[in-house]
Amino acid sequence: MNVPTGFIHQEGSAFGFGELEEAIVLQGLNIRNDEAKAPLFTTGRPAATLEMFPSWPMRFKQTPRGSSKSGGGSTDSGSAVNTISSKTENQLEPESPISSKNTTPLDHQQQKQQEMMASDVSRTGASQNQSIAKLPQEKRRGSTSEKQLDAKTLRRLAQNREAARKSRLRKKAYVQQLESSRIKLTQLEQDLQRSRSQGFFLGGCAGAVGNISSGAAIFDMEYSRWLEDDQRHMSELRTGLNAHLSDSDLRIIVDTYISHYDEIFRLKVVAAKADVFHLITGMWTTPAERCFLWMGGFRPSELIKMLISQLDPLTEQQVMGIYSLQHSSQQAEEALTQGLEQLQRSLTDTIAGGPVIDGMQQMAIAIGKLANLEGFVRQADNLRQQTLHQLSRILTVRQAARCFLMIGEYYGRLRALSSLWTSRPRESMMSDEHSCQTTTDLQMVQPSQNHFSEF
Amino acid sequence: MHYQVDSWGYYMPARSMGSDPMERVAKLASESAVVIFSLSSCCMCHAVKRLFCGLGVNPTVYELDQDPRGKDMETALMRLLGNSQAVPVVFIGGKLIGAMDRVMASHINGTLVPLLKEAGALWL
Repeated sequence: MNVPTGFIHQEGSAFGFGELEEAIVLQGLNIRNDEAKAPLFTTGRPAATLEMFPSWPMRFKQTPRGSSKSGGGSTDSGSAVNTISSKTENQLEPESPISSKNTTPLDHQQQKQQEMMASDVSRTGASQNQSIAKLPQEKRRGSTSEKQLDAKTLRRLAQNREAARKSRLRKKAYVQQLESSRIKLTQLEQDLQRSRSQGFFLGGCAGAVGNISSGAAIFDMEYSRWLEDDQRHMSELRTGLNAHLSDSDLRIIVDTYISHYDEIFRLKVVAAKADVFHLITGMWTTPAERCFLWMGGFRPSELIKMLISQLDPLTEQQVMGIYSLQHSSQQAEEALTQGLEQLQRSLTDTIAGGPVIDGMQQMAIAIGKLANLEGFVRQADNLRQQTLHQLSRILTVRQAARCFLMIGEYYGRLRALSSLWTSRPRESMMSDEHSCQTTTDLQMVQPSQNHFSEF
Repeated sequence: MHYQVDSWGYYMPARSMGSDPMERVAKLASESAVVIFSLSSCCMCHAVKRLFCGLGVNPTVYELDQDPRGKDMETALMRLLGNSQAVPVVFIGGKLIGAMDRVMASHINGTLVPLLKEAGALWL
C-alpha cells in the first residue's frame, strides 16, 4: 500500500512508535518477512495515543534542521519514503481546528493505526537506517530465538520511547497554545462586537468600524482629538485657579477654553452637513451621554441646572441672570423641539399618507424634508454655544473658570461611566468563558481609572 | 397669532405694480411690532413661530408661498440675509433681527425681550 510521504516520521512520534517498535520486536515470534505488514495491522495495540487527533489527516513539515533522505530499498511498504535523520524534529501539522478529542469511528482509528504502523515500518534514519534493514533480520532472529534481544536493540528501544515521550509533550504544549489562542480570539471578537454595538470609538480604526460614513469617521477622529485638547485645557484651568493668577491672566485661559468649545461647534456644523444622523443619534458620544441626548448634543437648560448648585456664591444679579438664562434656554429648546416634531409629522404624512400616486416622487419629497434635520442640529448647537458664551458673561472670571472646569469634569465622569458600563462583568451567556471575561473586564477598567485621577 | 394676507389692491393700488419686492418687505415689516416671513411648509418657521408664541407675543406672519409675489420677496430676503434660506426671518419694530440663529442668540443673551417690549409686542 502506498503510504503518503507526509505520513512518515520517526521519533517525532506522539503515537508511541517507540512502544510500537518494541511491540513489534517483542512479538517477533510470528513475524515473517513477506508477511511483515500483516501482523502490524493486527497488533491489537490500543490506540490510546492515536486518539489525540483521531480524525485528522496528519501532515508533516520537515524542519530545516537537516533531513537526510535515503530512500531505497530500506522499506518494504512499497512506497517512496522520506527518511529523516533521528535528529530532525518534525512538527505535526494538524489540518483541522482543535475540536473535542473524543469519539472517532473505530475503523478510522484502525486505518490510522495502519498508516502509522506502515510508516513506522518504512521509517529510516541515520541511526535507524539499519533498523529497517535490521528489522526483517530481527524478526527473523526473533522468530528463531524467541525474545532474545541484544543490548543495542534495547538501547534503541529506550531511545525511541524517550523520543516518543518528548514528542507527546511537545504536542501537548502546542495544543494548549492553540486552545488559549482560540479563546482569546473569541474574546476579542466579543469585545469588538460589544464595542461596536455600543458605538465606542476605537481610536485609530474609525473608518473600518461597521457602517460608519466617512464624514462620521472624520468627525469622530476630530472629536477624539478635541477631547484630548479638552483634558489639556482643563488642567490649565485647574493650575490657573490654584496658582491664584490675576484676573486678566485667568481671563486669557477662560477665553481659550471658550474658543476650544467654539471649535467643536464648528466641527459639528461640518459633520451635520456630512452625516446628520451620526450626530442626531449620538453615535459620536458614549452611551451614558446618549441618555441625555437632545438634538445631537447636551440640553443647555439641563447643564445650567447641574451648574446652579455648584456656582455659589453668586450675587443676586448673577442669580437672576443664571435663572433667566435657564428660562430662555428652555423656551428656545421647546421651540426647536416643536419645530422638529412638525418635521416628523410632515415626514410621516409624506411617506405614509393615502394612495401612492408616485412612489419615487414621494421619496424625493421625503428626502427634501429629511434634509431639514441638519438645520435643527445646527440651531441646537448654536443654542449650546450661545448658552456657554452667556454663562461666561454673567460670571466673574474665577467663577467662569470653575464653571468650565465643572462642565469638563462632569462630562469626563459621564464618559468614564460609559466605559465602566461596557466593561461590567455580566453572567448571561458567557458561562464557560466567565473567568476569561473577568480578566478582560479588569483590563478594560484600568484605563478608565484615569478619568477619576483628576477629580 | 393672526395671519395677514396681502391685499395690496385694497391698500395701495397706485404702487401695486412693479414695486420693488425689497421695498415691500420693508413696508410690511414696519406695519407690525413683530413680523415673521415664513413658508407654510417650513418646519424651522414653525419653530420660530412657537418661540414667539411661547413668549406671549402675537407676531404677524406672512406665508410667502401663499403670496402672489412671494417668490420675488423670497429672493430679496435671500439677498438681504446673504443666505440660501430666505425664511424664517424676523423683524421687530420694523428692524431686521435676522434668521433663526440670530433670533435665538438674541434671546439667550437677553436682548430679545427688551426689544419686544420696546416695540410694544410684550407687556410686563
